[in-house]
Amino acid sequence: MEIKETMRIMKKVLLAFSFIWCLTLAGVAHAQAPAAAPEPAAAPPPAAAPAAAAAPMMITDADIKGVAVPKPEEKAAGDPAGTITGTAADIPVGDAKKGLAISDVVSAVGQNLIATNFVWTLVTGFLVMFMQAGFAIVETGLARAKNSNHTMMMNFMVYGVGMLAYWIIGFAIQEGGVGAGANLGGTAPLSSEYAITLFGKSWGLFGQKGVMLGGATYDVGVMVMFLFQMVFMDTALTIVTGTAAERWKYSAFIISSFIMGAFTYPLFANWAWGGGWLATLGGSYGLGHGYADFAGSGVVHSVGGVTALAMAILIGPRIGKFRRDGTPNAIPGHDIVIVLLGCFILAFGWFGFNPGSTLGAAANGNLRISSVAVNTMLAGMAGSFSAMYYMWLRYGKPDASMTGNGLLAGLVAITAPSGFVNPMASVIIGLVAGVLCALSVEFVERKLKLDDVVGAISVHGTNGIWGVISVGLFADGKSNYGGAWNGVAGSVTGLFYGDMGQLVAQLIGVATLIGFVFTFSFVINMILEAVWGQRVTAKVELEGLDIPEMGAYGYPEFVLKPEPVYEK
Amino acid sequence: MALVGIVVTFAGFVLAAASVGITSSTTGRLGMVVVGIVVSLIGILGVLNPAYQKNAVWKK
Repeated sequence: MEIKETMRIMKKVLLAFSFIWCLTLAGVAHAQAPAAAPEPAAAPPPAAAPAAAAAPMMITDADIKGVAVPKPEEKAAGDPAGTITGTAADIPVGDAKKGLAISDVVSAVGQNLIATNFVWTLVTGFLVMFMQAGFAIVETGLARAKNSNHTMMMNFMVYGVGMLAYWIIGFAIQEGGVGAGANLGGTAPLSSEYAITLFGKSWGLFGQKGVMLGGATYDVGVMVMFLFQMVFMDTALTIVTGTAAERWKYSAFIISSFIMGAFTYPLFANWAWGGGWLATLGGSYGLGHGYADFAGSGVVHSVGGVTALAMAILIGPRIGKFRRDGTPNAIPGHDIVIVLLGCFILAFGWFGFNPGSTLGAAANGNLRISSVAVNTMLAGMAGSFSAMYYMWLRYGKPDASMTGNGLLAGLVAITAPSGFVNPMASVIIGLVAGVLCALSVEFVERKLKLDDVVGAISVHGTNGIWGVISVGLFADGKSNYGGAWNGVAGSVTGLFYGDMGQLVAQLIGVATLIGFVFTFSFVINMILEAVWGQRVTAKVELEGLDIPEMGAYGYPEFVLKPEPVYEK
Repeated sequence: MALVGIVVTFAGFVLAAASVGITSSTTGRLGMVVVGIVVSLIGILGVLNPAYQKNAVWKK
């Protein structure tokens, strides 16, 4: 009798789980269903279907009443094996009198799915936030000790300044029209995109909801989105401080960074990620899946890189960087140890940057986070190797700072394609990135006569663009994030796998970065230069920016070497 | 010359973006976008930067 009763309960538990599983699948399939895949209209039922399969059993509230739950005395005795924790007893009940009902179970499934995605996105966002620490010590280590306080403070406050600008207006411009996202349970309040009509199609230009996170955007899903997107924006801003270090007036840095966080970054991010015109190039003009930038080689790194290029041109090189004949002097940083430590911190943070960009870990193809993470680490490794060997072969020593930059270059380059390519392509992308970084540093310094203290133009600008292009080349068509990307059914596929249109969409993104974002950044900073001034005086620069600009040395107990006499 | 550089750089972007409306051929669009990128690069590296390099601090 007891065995029979146990069998009966087990049968009901199995039925309940099957039912929930079916419901989950049905929900996911609905979310994933590509628009152009209607069911055949008149599919006749199989003529000789077995009777048992024809009538699915329905479970009712009564069926789950008998699901076994641990007794209070069992729970009180502790659960070292973890076998009686997390049972039906832990499902919140809507109506205490009625007890556990099917609706409670189904709600718990939905909550768990969204909770998984919330936690994943938030935790990866926290990792990205920590990248600020990595950037701070990389840039400070590559600057001279006399400017360490100033460089560190720029990196420290770019977080707050950027966040303020982004909260006030930037987030609304970027995401205000993105619409509901399935992974976060819907961000429906972000529902208004300003668009114009060009060539017979709608071109989304900027979002209009979410100013100061007010009104309907006071929403749990929107908050997750804000946190994650905010730390990305700050990454772009901190790239510029590396290039302009050791001569940028602190007050000018504050104003310039505020404008970048409020307008420059959000505009391009809207076009690429917020439902703007670059994202819809696929749906509107048949160019692959539109501009595809999984985690931001273009949106984050190239925007930072081309803005850094604009600043380098505007602000000019440090005193002593170039001799009278235009050949460069090396100005070594003061601490290569913290530079490489910073690179490690950045590589760690990148596991938030790329895998987190799924905005979820459950459903909608998000299990691909494992592939994204592996691609990320492989490309970083490949970048550090190729940069190191390039320098070793060319100069006879495996230069430490370039090896660190090679790692970052590989990571920057894989950021856009990480969600669309396979491990072999990731290694190729990383190998190219490392060498490209070294070549670009030489080109920027020797041919353009620009002074980029940390190599940010090459690491983030050049390799960000390489990352964007590599999506159009290497995307293998195997990814599936809810059955569509940018509203176009199917997987993102590059030229090497048969879709030239995707490459064209990527190149339009590159043209926008070079032609629009650069120009916008340049004009903004040119105006700032005219009305406020961007550069400290020669006296301040030679003395070091720590005392004149910040009022304190970074290392007050150190004896700083006098300024070397650079070759003229 | 700096202003010319800015205009040329922006013109490259306009050319690339307009390619989707000017032709429906993927190859044609590819060609126009590449030309647009080259024009923008000329604007930055060939016009704007040299204009600023004329007064570079190391030449003084």
